[in-house]
Amino acid sequence: MRRPRIVISGLGAVTGFGFEWQTLWSEMLLGRHCIRPWQPEGAAGTSFPIRYAAAVDEQSLPAYLQTHPAWSSELEKRARYGWVAASQALTDSRLSSVQWREVAVLAASGAPHHWLSDMQLAFPDDGDEQPSWRHVMRRADQVRRDGALRQSSDRLARVIANELGSQGPVLNISSACAGAAQAIGNAFHMLRRGECELALAGGADSVLNLDTMTALYLLGAASSETRWGADLCRPFDAARAGLVAGEGGAFLLLETLEHALARGAEPYAEILGYGTSLDGYKLTAPEPEGRGASQAMAAALDDAGVHPEQVDLINAHGTSTPLNDRSETLAVKRVFARNQHYRRLSVSANKSQFGHLIAAAGAPEILVTALSCREDWVTPTLNLNEADPDCDLNYCPNEAKQQRVDIAISNSFGFGGLNASLVLAKYRSEAP
Amino acid sequence: MMSGTTRPVYLLESAVLNAAGNSAEALYGQAPTANALEFAPDRRGFPLSVPRLPTDRFDRKLQRSVEAQSLRLLHCAARLGPRLEALGLPPERVALTAAIPEVDAPSPSWEAVAAMRQQPDLWLAQWFANTPPLHSLILLNSSSMAYLAEALACRGPMAGYCGQEGAGLDALLEASHNIAEGRADAALVVSTSPNITPALFLRETELEEGTTPLVPGEGAAACLLGVEPAKSDTRNVRIVGYSRGFLSPTPAQADARQADPFARVLNQVLSCEHLSMSDLSAVWSDPDDALLRRAIDNYPVRPGSRPVVGALGASSLLTDLAYALAAPEFAAPVQTNYLLLLNRSYTGHLGALLLAVEPARRAP
Repeated sequence: MRRPRIVISGLGAVTGFGFEWQTLWSEMLLGRHCIRPWQPEGAAGTSFPIRYAAAVDEQSLPAYLQTHPAWSSELEKRARYGWVAASQALTDSRLSSVQWREVAVLAASGAPHHWLSDMQLAFPDDGDEQPSWRHVMRRADQVRRDGALRQSSDRLARVIANELGSQGPVLNISSACAGAAQAIGNAFHMLRRGECELALAGGADSVLNLDTMTALYLLGAASSETRWGADLCRPFDAARAGLVAGEGGAFLLLETLEHALARGAEPYAEILGYGTSLDGYKLTAPEPEGRGASQAMAAALDDAGVHPEQVDLINAHGTSTPLNDRSETLAVKRVFARNQHYRRLSVSANKSQFGHLIAAAGAPEILVTALSCREDWVTPTLNLNEADPDCDLNYCPNEAKQQRVDIAISNSFGFGGLNASLVLAKYRSEAP
Repeated sequence: MMSGTTRPVYLLESAVLNAAGNSAEALYGQAPTANALEFAPDRRGFPLSVPRLPTDRFDRKLQRSVEAQSLRLLHCAARLGPRLEALGLPPERVALTAAIPEVDAPSPSWEAVAAMRQQPDLWLAQWFANTPPLHSLILLNSSSMAYLAEALACRGPMAGYCGQEGAGLDALLEASHNIAEGRADAALVVSTSPNITPALFLRETELEEGTTPLVPGEGAAACLLGVEPAKSDTRNVRIVGYSRGFLSPTPAQADARQADPFARVLNQVLSCEHLSMSDLSAVWSDPDDALLRRAIDNYPVRPGSRPVVGALGASSLLTDLAYALAAPEFAAPVQTNYLLLLNRSYTGHLGALLLAVEPARRAP
C-alpha cells in the first residue's frame, strides 16, 4: 500500500531573533546571532558565572501580537512563547478555522520552572523545623501562578488544543533535548498511518533561570567563557567550551499532501522519515563513538527510503560542547562512510545563531532545515575559526552558503542519550 | 493500528507497584485505605514508601540521588528484566518508551535554600555549594530513561511522554507501533505516578466544576511487548486497536458537540476489528463519568484501579491494563475475549485501548 506523503505547510517561531520565522531566517542568512549579555532574574550584578544567553526580547513584540491571549494568561513564559509560535504557524498555514478541530497537537516541553520563592515557602518562619510541604500548603496563596507548583508541563499542549477546539489527539512530549524532534516525528508517523490529517507539532522551552542554569553550569555543560564576549557559542571549533542557552519555541503545521493540495496550500518541504535510538551509555555524556546518534540517523534514512548518498545537508545537534560535537562528527562519518560521502555533505549548527532551546531545540532547527530545502541556502555555523582536528566535516563556517538542498537531516540528541533524527526533502509535486 | 500490513504486538509481561502491593492480583485482595496526607490533613491519598532498587541492576548511588517517582519506576521496570533478557534480542532491537510526570519540586535543592536563609549575604556561594550537580538532571524524564536503557540494555527506538493519564497510552502506543512497523522486536513501556505533593492540589483550579476532589495514589507500572507470544504462556494477549481524542474541559470551549469526540474515539477503536459493543467481554472505565456512560449507551463498565489505589496519573493506564488482565475469568480463555479500556483524564485526554485475550497458540 502506498504511504501518504506528509508536508510542512505552516511555520511559526519565537526566538531571540524575534517573533516571526521570517526574521529568524533572514537574520540567519546574514550570519548574525542573537546571543546577548544575560543574568538570571534576581542575580543581576552578582558573580553568577553564566553571562550570555539567547533570550527572547519581549520589548520587541510586534503590535499585532500584543493582544495575543498568551500575554494575559497565567502561564510559564515557555508556554507563552510556544502558544504564540503555534498561533503563527496556524496563521501561516492559512488553514480555515472550520478545520481547527481536526488538528492534533504535539508539544514538547522541558523540566518545569521551580521558583526560589516557592521553595522558600517550604521553610517554617521560625527556622527551627525541617522544610516541609505542610508550610507550602499553609501559604498556598503565596505560590507563584507561573511556576511548577501551579503549572503542569503539559499546559502548553492543552492551551493550544483549547484554542483550536481540537478533538485531539493531544500529546505532551518529554525526551530532553530530543523532545521537539520527537513531537514532529511522532506527528509525522501519526499522519502517515492515518491517525489524523492535520497536526501542529513543535515545542517551547526556557531554562533561563537560576535553578536550571546553575545545574547546567555545575555539570560543565554551559559555557562560562568570557574570552569572546557574545561570540562564545562555537560548535565544532577547537576552543568550544559548552552550550549557550536560548529560549523560545517553534511549531510546524503538518498535513498529508493530499489534504494540503485539496485546500490549496503550498508546502514548504516534505518530511520523509523519522528515527530514534538510545545510547544506553551514560547520563551525562554521549556514547563517545557516536553509535546511538548514527543509529538514529540510519533509522530515519531507512524510514524515509533514502540512501545516505542522496543527503545534501545535516542540520547538526551541534551543541558547542566538546563531547557532543566530536561524537556527532564520528556518527556522521559512520552513516555516510560509503564513497566518503561525508566529505561532500554540508553540516550546519543553528545553536551558534539562536542558542540551545533545550526541549524545544529541534523545532526551530527543523523549521530552518525545511527552509534550506525550499530556498537552497545553508545557514552558517558561527564562530568556527579554528578547526578541531576531531571535527573535520564541512560545517559552513561563518557565512551562509547557496547550495542545492534536495534532502536534509535534522539531528536532536538529548541528555541521557536520547537521539532523534528526521529526514526532510524539497517539496516537489512528484514523489521523491 | 494494528492493520493487516503490520506485525502483531503481544503483551508478554507486566509489573505494577502501588498501595495494594507489587502484583496485579493484589489489586483484587484486601483494599488499602487512603490516609490523611501529612501536608494537608483534610485530603487523603495512597502514598508509598520509597522502594529499594536492586543493586545487581542499578548503581547504589541512584538510591540516594534519584527522585522517589523515578525510584518507583526503576524498581517496577527492573522486574521485567529477566523476561526481556530471555528474548535474547540485540539491544538495538529493544525499544523503550516512558510516561513520566514532571517532578514538582527539587527537594535536593532545599539544602541550598536553607543555607541561603542562614547567610543571605552569601546567597550565590551558598546556592552553588549546596546544589548537587545532578540536581536538574534527576528531574528530567530522560534521566530515568537513561538509567533504564543502561541497566536493561535498551538501545532501540525511544519516546518520552509527560502528562496526566493520557501519557501512559501514548507510551504504550508508540512502543506498539515500533514493533508493528518493524523498528523493534520488543519494547519496554514504563510509567510512574507523580509524587504526592501540594502541586497536585494547587493545580485543581483546572478541575471541572462539581468534580469529586482527587484522591491521588503513588505507584508505577510497566509492561514488556513483543512480536511473538511466549510458547509457555497459557494465553496470548494481543494489542488490537486504540484511539485517542481530546475534549476540552474548559467551559468556554465546551459546547453541544462535547459527546462527539468520545463517540469518535469509541467508533475508531471498535472498527479496528469490526466489533460492536456486544462483542466485548468487558469494559474498564470510570463508572461515574456521565459523558462516557452516554457514549457507550450505559453498557456496564468495571471500575479500574482508581477506587482501590487512588489516581495514579501517568501510570494509571498500565496499572489498569495489568488489573484487567488479572481478572480470573481471563486467565485461561477458551475463545477470544475482547477487553476495552476507556479513559478520560481531568485535563481532557480521551483514550481507548482494545485487547484480545486469546487461547495460547499450540506449537505445530
